Amino acid sequence: MLFNSHSFIFLFLPVVLLGYFALGRRSNLAPVVWLALASLVFYAFGGGQFVPLLLVSIAFNYGVGYLLIARKLRPGLRFAVLTIGVAGDLTVLGIFKYAGFFVANLNALFATGFFVTIVLPVGISFYTFTQIAFLVDAYRGNVARYALPHYALFVTYFPHLIAGPILHHKDMIPQFERAETKRPDPHLILCGLIIFAIGLFKKTCLADGIQPLVAQAFGPNAPTFDQAWIGVLAYTFQLYFDFSGYSDMAIGISLMFGIILPLNFNSPYKATSVVDFWRRWHMTLSQFLRDYLYIPLGGNRHGRLLRYVNLMITMLLGGLWHGAAWTFVVWGALHGVYLCINHAWSNYGPKAPPRFARLADIAGLILTFLAVVIAWVFFRAPDMATALSVLSKMADPSNIAFGRVEMVYALFVAIYAALAWLAPNTQEIMGYDHENRSVGENLRAQRMRPLFLYATAAVLAFGILGIQQHSEFIYFRF
Amino acid sequence: MSVSSKNLWRFLCAAAAIVLTAAALNFVVDPLQLFRPARLLPAMYSADSRMQDAGLIRSQDFDTVFMGTSLAIHFRQSDIDRALGVRSLKLSMTGSNSREQGFVLTAAMERRPKRVIWQMDDWIFRDAPEIDSDIYVPADLYRRNIRGIGGYLFSGAMARESWWIAARAIPPLEPIVARLTNGVMFKFPISRVDDINALRPDFDVAGFYNANSAVAAFRRITDPARSHSIAEGYNYEAMVRGFERDAIALIESNPNVTFDIYFAPYSILHFVAMRDASPATLKMAYDLTAYAFPRLLQFPNVRLHDFRDVKEVTHDLGNYGDVIHHSPAIDLKILSWLAERKYVVARGAPLASLERLKAQIEAYKVQP
Repeated sequence: MLFNSHSFIFLFLPVVLLGYFALGRRSNLAPVVWLALASLVFYAFGGGQFVPLLLVSIAFNYGVGYLLIARKLRPGLRFAVLTIGVAGDLTVLGIFKYAGFFVANLNALFATGFFVTIVLPVGISFYTFTQIAFLVDAYRGNVARYALPHYALFVTYFPHLIAGPILHHKDMIPQFERAETKRPDPHLILCGLIIFAIGLFKKTCLADGIQPLVAQAFGPNAPTFDQAWIGVLAYTFQLYFDFSGYSDMAIGISLMFGIILPLNFNSPYKATSVVDFWRRWHMTLSQFLRDYLYIPLGGNRHGRLLRYVNLMITMLLGGLWHGAAWTFVVWGALHGVYLCINHAWSNYGPKAPPRFARLADIAGLILTFLAVVIAWVFFRAPDMATALSVLSKMADPSNIAFGRVEMVYALFVAIYAALAWLAPNTQEIMGYDHENRSVGENLRAQRMRPLFLYATAAVLAFGILGIQQHSEFIYFRF
Repeated sequence: MSVSSKNLWRFLCAAAAIVLTAAALNFVVDPLQLFRPARLLPAMYSADSRMQDAGLIRSQDFDTVFMGTSLAIHFRQSDIDRALGVRSLKLSMTGSNSREQGFVLTAAMERRPKRVIWQMDDWIFRDAPEIDSDIYVPADLYRRNIRGIGGYLFSGAMARESWWIAARAIPPLEPIVARLTNGVMFKFPISRVDDINALRPDFDVAGFYNANSAVAAFRRITDPARSHSIAEGYNYEAMVRGFERDAIALIESNPNVTFDIYFAPYSILHFVAMRDASPATLKMAYDLTAYAFPRLLQFPNVRLHDFRDVKEVTHDLGNYGDVIHHSPAIDLKILSWLAERKYVVARGAPLASLERLKAQIEAYKVQP
């Protein structure tokens, strides 16, 4: 089931909300169980055959977590339990996500004829990473013992289950335990609806609206220079509004239940460096990779050279996490190289004089954006040959079409660029503060005009009117 | 009631009001003419046949339906009417398969046409997704069920077109809006039903349809790097299944409708490409004809026309834009052949034209 579907908006969400608050009048536990069951139903709509796998994964990790938290095991045994837990998670993820890739490469290298077809369970990367973080924290002694329903809800919580954000147990489970979240709060419901509306609009009107232009670069016909740029920029903004829209919708839905999710997106195309970009794009994944991969690898604690090696390893694996294909590996490698250059420049490059700081920021923004756009070509292309072909067209200004269609499309792309660069983001509009658990204080204090309310109502209406029968989120594939 | 509660209600009511206004606009303007023919505002049409056909079936008067793929997309209804003395409705869909065609034709049958003119070839019978999994066909719109009608009325894209059509009907705005209605930003740019998917008068026909284009296409598809594409979609069992499911079932269930089925005059290069680059595919094409022709001729309401061996057309490469797509001049010839009942496959010798075609293919030598 998609957030941008009539069945979700007009049936599933209202029913789950009503049930949650109705049960909240009676007990503190029943709404948690209700929400976890509703999340499983939500998941089943996307792939019913994978529900058992999800349940087994929860049971396995909860069991391993129990051994790490509640049992007084000696250090060696604790490490062995953690190893088994993480290895189990990675094995399942590896089989489902990478077996086909591995076999394809084996066939290519040794001309073997192995054949494997495994369907990727929806959201497996997200719920696996979530639980690996839980196990590592349990091993480190940073986890109190959680009740099974709360843990199960933490893993399955439907606003995040399919495409993130990657949640942290310490952030979520205490919220699930609070009695206050089970009572309807009109302010939070309104703020949630507004944030959901903005996200829905981004998805249905902006991302789905520009999606057809992507074929200019990645369609069946070889593009000209301008068509290649239009298509690649269209994808750049499609991905942006698609993912940003999903993240907003997840936050908005969760807010209606009184649960505050972490931010996952903070205007990444406004980044003035690649380091800054990764602090703004898929923020929870960046944090996960930093805390559970980069730092355990040694981070920057073993000298500058090893820091660059660790960065490259982290980004290569980050790329591979997005998809089992060489294009994703190259995408990750490119970002690894970008980050290394960025850190090297920060350490050894000249500093801009204060009076040129603004100019340097603008130059940094343009350079970062172009670097990211180039990398997106690999992210989008079905294979390396297509990616290289598109890049070669982008570098060949001798072949230009620029007819009426291209002019109109270029105008569209410019409008999207203006929105991405100049418009405030959702959390700025709504005053969403995850750390302080506050949102929409201006709205509550009546400091916002009624016009704001009606404008956001229009945004919800346009978002609903923009729903198409066939639409999917790009991050569902990961 | 708290301030937040009041704001929440205001917000929900305002959103609902806007959604309902858009639905009302769509209902009144009815861009697809799904509820009624355009009377209040001038009609506008889209070149997206798979969507537009759902409205045409409902709003147009017709006694003859014309169906096909891109090979039958540029026909003008006025030419069909003049040549055949009928009132036609063109429903051809570019790249369509038999499942899509059968589905659309079934919807058209509810209007009880007397005649169906159906351009067929073997490729339309390739394996195709279920109609509800076909993302290009708005199946519920044809079924006119709640999902279809709801999706149509509560569609922002359709509301934008409605707004555009309404604006164009206001005299002072008409010239400006008409200039902007170019099909790039707005999807209903055609004001005459006869012009849907017809070539514009200023189209460079000679520049597009000529021997150089045909030969270049032949070289392209027979290039060893790409020639595997010739066999794409060809699977004999699947094709026979598609033929029985989509063509025979429709013919069988409409015994009072005359089916004029014709196999289009591909350039000879199409078959020669198969002969040279993928003989197994050519054999499948032969086998399907050998199966389909006698089967079709079992039905008294079928008239079968095979134009594939009309040498004066198929061997004149100047008629083609590539190895299959013929020029509008050939469209007119096809209509005249249909009117004259020329090249009708005799019930007593259903495979005679196939044998002639085979001989032509074997004999043809490609110029170096």
